[in-house]
Amino acid sequence: MDPIILAVAVLLPVFGGALIPLLPFRSRRQMLIYIEAVVLLNTVLVLTALLNRPADGFVLFHLNGKLSISFQLDGLGTVFAAIVSLLWPLATLYAFEYMTHEGHEKYFFMFYTITYGITLGIAFAEDIVTMYCFYEMLTLVTLPLILHTLSREAILAGRTYLYYSLGGAAFAFIGMIFILNYGSTADFTPGGVLMLAKVGDSQDLLLLIYVLCFLGFSVKAAMFPFGGWLPKAGVAPTPVTALLHAVAVVKAGAFTLMRITYYSFGVSFLRGTWAQTVVMVFVLITIVYGCSRALKETHLKRRLAYSTMSNLSYILFGVVLMSPLGLTGALCHMIFHAVMKICSFFCAGAVIYKSGRNYIHELDGMGRKMPKVFGAFTVSAFALMGVPGLCGFISKWNLAKAAVENPHPLAIFGVAALLISALLTAIYMLTIVVRAFFPGKDFDYHTLDGITDPTWKMLLPLGIFVVLMVLFGLHSAPIVSALSKLAAAAV
Amino acid sequence: MNMWIFLPVLLPAVAGITLLAASFRGHLAGKADGESTQARRTLHTFTAAVLVLTAVLALLAAWSGEHEVTLFYLMEDIPVYFHIDAVGRLFVTVVSIVWLCVGFYSFTYMEHEGEEKRFFGFFLLVYAVLIALDFSGNLVTMYLFYELMTLCSMPLVLHNGSREAIMAALKYLFYSMCGAYLGLFGIFCLYHYCDTLAFTAGGTLNNAAASGHTGLLLVAVFAMLIGFGAKAGMFPLHAWLPAAHPVAPSPASAALSGIIVKSGVLAVIRVVFYIAGPDLIRGTWVQTVWMTLTLITIFMGSLLAFREPVFKKRLAYSTVSQVSYILFGLSVLQPEAMGGALLHVVFHAFIKCALFLTAGVFIFKYGKTRVEELDGIGKRLPKTLWCYTFASLALIGIPPTSGFISKWHLAEGALAAPVGIFRYLGPVVLLISALLTAGYLLPVTVRGFLPGRDWQTEHRAETIPEKEPVGMLVPLLVLAALAVLLGLFPNPVISYVTDLAATLL
Repeated sequence: MDPIILAVAVLLPVFGGALIPLLPFRSRRQMLIYIEAVVLLNTVLVLTALLNRPADGFVLFHLNGKLSISFQLDGLGTVFAAIVSLLWPLATLYAFEYMTHEGHEKYFFMFYTITYGITLGIAFAEDIVTMYCFYEMLTLVTLPLILHTLSREAILAGRTYLYYSLGGAAFAFIGMIFILNYGSTADFTPGGVLMLAKVGDSQDLLLLIYVLCFLGFSVKAAMFPFGGWLPKAGVAPTPVTALLHAVAVVKAGAFTLMRITYYSFGVSFLRGTWAQTVVMVFVLITIVYGCSRALKETHLKRRLAYSTMSNLSYILFGVVLMSPLGLTGALCHMIFHAVMKICSFFCAGAVIYKSGRNYIHELDGMGRKMPKVFGAFTVSAFALMGVPGLCGFISKWNLAKAAVENPHPLAIFGVAALLISALLTAIYMLTIVVRAFFPGKDFDYHTLDGITDPTWKMLLPLGIFVVLMVLFGLHSAPIVSALSKLAAAAV
Repeated sequence: MNMWIFLPVLLPAVAGITLLAASFRGHLAGKADGESTQARRTLHTFTAAVLVLTAVLALLAAWSGEHEVTLFYLMEDIPVYFHIDAVGRLFVTVVSIVWLCVGFYSFTYMEHEGEEKRFFGFFLLVYAVLIALDFSGNLVTMYLFYELMTLCSMPLVLHNGSREAIMAALKYLFYSMCGAYLGLFGIFCLYHYCDTLAFTAGGTLNNAAASGHTGLLLVAVFAMLIGFGAKAGMFPLHAWLPAAHPVAPSPASAALSGIIVKSGVLAVIRVVFYIAGPDLIRGTWVQTVWMTLTLITIFMGSLLAFREPVFKKRLAYSTVSQVSYILFGLSVLQPEAMGGALLHVVFHAFIKCALFLTAGVFIFKYGKTRVEELDGIGKRLPKTLWCYTFASLALIGIPPTSGFISKWHLAEGALAAPVGIFRYLGPVVLLISALLTAGYLLPVTVRGFLPGRDWQTEHRAETIPEKEPVGMLVPLLVLAALAVLLGLFPNPVISYVTDLAATLL
């Protein structure tokens, strides 16, 4: 297949989205059809590209002699692009119903659709420069989505997001410069590009740069102590928090970390060094920290955001194990967490949309009024806890398997962190479920009159996610073996 | 194809889900909780039919040979795999007998609790899960059903919907989850150092891979002992038990105390004797700490029961203590003690069930929950109190009841085991605990039958025998009879567990 398709897939949503405020739609319905058509078309394009993977890269343009904006598609990119492209149409469908009560839809959908293209740009980036550019752009196009309601809270959240992201990108930039200087090429190459001869005595310097670069990119992956923006950004409309802050943006962070670790610096250079220990300590702290904060949080979406923080660090834990099994577990959790968390966020969104309730103590008895939504929420809660038979267990299993066989002395503490986090997850998710379904015998259901399940536009994505969680949970062998092949090639 | 052995799991699961769906639909339609007599009768007939059919199928599957079924592969090398072996057979038989008794008892009892569809729905679901748990052939399958058991039994605890019940249910849930995750930690570690996670008598540890990692493996096994011990009410994760068992409806408390705690025991047996292998922990700090913890639990449970004025809570503390008898029997890693432990699994299930069901009768008839309110109860409900008395005698271990047999084996085994000071410490603690058991159980009998002359003159109206509900009395009689008769004719059970213990140690 001609590699130009990659560029088309990146640019189509960007231009298609930018056109939304300009096109003279006669009705809302027309606009929605146009948006869904663009998104679906692009998804089809991406899937075609994934199935007939183009062998070569495609250079969009040259920045200067050595640097260029170019795309290619390898195994790692395939996984990320597949997650993004499969979830985007569903999230858009969900947003159609949800956004009726938020207003300013034209601008919302403009940025929402543009983000699709930018995220794909990160997935398809052939070299660190391209990835960096799209990474920065991602910050800029998602900022208006956080600001959407223009409330004081939203503006503050947007500002925090901007400062954190730009600050992180600055560190990442340093890493990029060093890769350009010490690497044989800027392109992502399995095993890394560092020229050890040139590195010579400055090994410690490069390790330091790796740690800085890791911390820089980890801002988007919401790693402690740089994850503060994520819970604050929960003020954004739910389609944003669900798709961007549980999947696209934060996983872009995790994805960039995989790229720099496995494809730029290279694991053979990093494995067993102090740099690995340092980043692993950060990751382990985040796993437990995120869960503990989630436990304390009483705002539903913010609780889920903290949960995301912790779960993203599961992925990062797999990444910093720096072994094929570790990467397998990381990729596995990247896919499965996307499904689980988007599902629970959509449920939270449905509750906000139908009842305007944001806090957990307001959810008493809602299970009986919104049985389908809370049914889906329960399944996602079980999956996040790692109940076997659902997908969360599979990724936990793979991560723990990788950790036990890993020679790094901290790895076994990772297993402990995973399980502490699982227990805390059980506590913060199941208290919601129990509240919703068993409010107590004196509960007066009349206070909930008028609250019902939403329409099919919201329920369809939920149904699909539930099916996926069960399906992946019961039959994961094909995915896991594909991922482990991919991971073996990357190390 | 052996697929049919999966039927006793499928049938109650489907029936349970149907009932839950019906209950939920009823609520959505806004129907009142009180059901008509006709509807209740239909519900009871349906549940009874499912229970009996399931029990028949389960026993048939269990006793018709060593079946194995691989359902599908959860992960590349981890199948959901069922294998009926001697241990599973023993457990599934006990579960089925208890479930039938408790089920029939509930038809009368649950009338005053309400929400019967939901109760029986979860009751059947838990039965399905327990059968699957007993039939599980590898560690991951067992873990799967272990988690499901927690999740399905939790609604039984919060049944009455009071704040106290909900809090207790959450406590149950979180302690169980904590235990399960400790267990999972062990599973992750053992997976790496074992040839297979399929249960094999003697363990599957790969000595070549494990050499040099004994420290980690011991920590892993210890985590599993503590973790799965949580369900069995072993110190330090026992605190959920006295909170959760008393607030549940009495049949549910009986099932929890009689059976569900035993699932923790089953998990421990599977881990120690079928995966890690007893040789790994013999003589190590893990064995010492394990024995210490069980003895602490035995003593502490009895003492707390002795001081407890709420009847069901007293019985719950008694469970804490008694289940650790079983764990102590396992921890000395000696065939005879292990036989005693397995015997106690069976006997304690029947006895504790009978005791909780008696407590249920008192609550059902008079709403009496505290021990001091039970003065003279034997005048009004003589048959019930006699059942209670026989079950109590069995639990104390007075010959010729069943409890005596199991405790005898436990003590004999402990004395014969090379475990240092614990050889003597164990039997001594057992003896003290037996005294305490007599001290917390028998006063109810004594005061119940012989409340004293003053009481009789004050409560003249309460001394006349009343009609005892047949639907509750019959299951109670069956269980109490089992508790006594298994002591009089123990040989078939003894030879079964002795053979079993011999294959494992």
